[in-house]
Amino acid sequence: MPIVELQGVSKTYESKIAVRDLSLSIEAGQMFGLLGPNGAGKTSTIRMMMGITLPDTGHVNLFGQPFARSSLRRVGYLPEERGLYKKMRVLEQLVFFGELHGLTRAEALKRASGWAHRLDIADVLGKKTEELSKGMQQKIQFIGSLLHDPGLIVMDEPFSGLDPVNAKLLEHTLLELKDQGKAILFSTHRMDQVEKLCDAICLINKGEAVLSGTMRAIKSRYERNHVVVEFDGSAEFLKSDQIAEARNFSGHAEIRLKPHGDAQKLLHEASAIATIYRFELMEPSLEEIFIQTVGGKVDA
Amino acid sequence: MRNMLLIARREYLEQVRSRAFRTTTIGLPAIFALIVAVGYLSSLGLGANRHIAVASNDPALANQIRNQLLGDQTARARVEVIAPATQEQRSALVKQVKSSSLDGVLWVEAMPGKAPTATYTAQSSGDFITAARLRSAVNHALVDAQLMAGGMQQAAADKLVSGISIATFQARKDGRIVKSNPEASLWKGYVMALLLSMTTMIYGMNVARSIIQEKTSRIFEVMLAIARPGDLLAGKLIGVGAVGLTQIAIWLIAGAAIFFSPFAAAVMTGAFTVQVSWTEAILFPIYFVLGYLLYSSLFAGLAATCETEQELQMYMPLAAAPTWLSFALILLIINDSNSIWSILASLFPPTAPVIMFLRMASEIPPAWQFAVSIGLLVLSIWGVLWFSTRLYRIGILMYGKRATLPELLRWLRYS
Repeated sequence: MPIVELQGVSKTYESKIAVRDLSLSIEAGQMFGLLGPNGAGKTSTIRMMMGITLPDTGHVNLFGQPFARSSLRRVGYLPEERGLYKKMRVLEQLVFFGELHGLTRAEALKRASGWAHRLDIADVLGKKTEELSKGMQQKIQFIGSLLHDPGLIVMDEPFSGLDPVNAKLLEHTLLELKDQGKAILFSTHRMDQVEKLCDAICLINKGEAVLSGTMRAIKSRYERNHVVVEFDGSAEFLKSDQIAEARNFSGHAEIRLKPHGDAQKLLHEASAIATIYRFELMEPSLEEIFIQTVGGKVDA
Repeated sequence: MRNMLLIARREYLEQVRSRAFRTTTIGLPAIFALIVAVGYLSSLGLGANRHIAVASNDPALANQIRNQLLGDQTARARVEVIAPATQEQRSALVKQVKSSSLDGVLWVEAMPGKAPTATYTAQSSGDFITAARLRSAVNHALVDAQLMAGGMQQAAADKLVSGISIATFQARKDGRIVKSNPEASLWKGYVMALLLSMTTMIYGMNVARSIIQEKTSRIFEVMLAIARPGDLLAGKLIGVGAVGLTQIAIWLIAGAAIFFSPFAAAVMTGAFTVQVSWTEAILFPIYFVLGYLLYSSLFAGLAATCETEQELQMYMPLAAAPTWLSFALILLIINDSNSIWSILASLFPPTAPVIMFLRMASEIPPAWQFAVSIGLLVLSIWGVLWFSTRLYRIGILMYGKRATLPELLRWLRYS
């Protein structure tokens, strides 16, 4: 049973079509990436999923049932527009969110302290939110959305504004939650994170799904025509007839082969004039797929 | 329901713990008392300690006027008599006024067979209290002179013209006849109405400001995924309203403690006797809650359509206009608190809370009028809430630009 299922969902604001006939489904224990350029309709899709706005047409099912507000008690939501009560103390704020999600005060207190230790913010629990850095506030909001142990976690740009250490901490936490069987949807512009974390994606552009499926299935649709070479010596082999495009970063080259370009020939040419430490034939990265699929179609 | 109460509790605790709450709880009555005290103390010296010259061609009349002026203990005037006086002397006295060695010159010209004429020349044109005192003194002196010319003794004539004081009583609907003080009652009604309108506006504004702040901090997106917009708004209105009631309760308890203290017993006697009836004590919180709900739901709808507090401030004078209208009607209420216009104004929901208290200062209106005014207030709160909730649920997610009127109408249709 899919945890989230969107069937032919559309939403129009005034004359602008935000989402058009979008369908997707997320299973338990799956990390799902919702991708798209700015204004593609990611946030509009998430808002319909959360019942903040209603779709004009189509259906939203949560936990196998048509959308009902009561289902939201099992959903943890971190919106793109971060917001906290600035004057409230951190612990009070977390307990308030926990209680709103149906926890008792005592249980909310216990879980808030547990999460604060886990995400290394226990020392700021007594501080007012306005006294904290943006990254710290983001961690608080992250905890606020997970306190009630939701079955579905929806995160809009969860890593934006975080330093690498904290981004890594949140990544690990999300992976742990996925291992516990939670369905996780997150939208982001960071393709490297999607590639690393997500099992499935939906790429939307101008409100429409232009690419969707599991990461493996998507990548298998594209030819293995990318080569990464680490070398020492002459870079003349980068002028080979087999190459469509090459970028050389002093000893590290990223190459796109021509259609039907021969990687073995290229390796032979390269090893003749340089010492090769690494020669790897790769699938295109998600970023390249993204640019190929959406490139030239993005609104200014 | 649970979420609404949790939101109300959060609003309540956050505001009650704030410095602003402590400051206004202590500061507002203190400022109020200070304004009343300054007004009263400054009125004590009005028109007093004047140095006046009374010049006339009739020495007897001039002396009578002087006696009348000196007899007024509150005036504490210094009076010189120049009589019989010539036009040259009058001109010289006017020069003294110009040079500030005299506050004013009263020139009284008696003409046989005709009423005397009197002119007063002073540096200040706005000293109406001295002008009133002089008018009274001249009239009394003339009557005195006429009575003595008719053979009455000076003491008997003075006694006759000194006037009598009238004790006022109020025949209440419960059959009791109690001593009343119209001025004190009016002041009491005015102060209660002012307090009511101020608290209603302050807490209505608090709701609006809180919505703008939450809109700015983008917390709504998080909250809307947990609670319904209606619960968010209702929780906010209940929480902030409870803060207002807490503040009023603190003021009432502190007021009662002062009222029943030995200090108050010593001060609040005679003209200062003010009694707050049970009807007023019960109706004050009721009208506060209703007035607050009416204005705060209106302000909440407005706030949801605004982007910044500055933008909101532009609408506030319009939204608060009915309260100003209530105070503009004060003379109408004093003149006849039971006239059809007074009754209509006390039933009209936006002006009802303030006008009812102004009317109660003169006379407690019949129970049916309270029932109708409260009923109409409840109905209009429901109506305003209906509109505001619709504006609120769309407006709180609209960032970046001010909504136009056609957009607002569309929001109402969408919801």
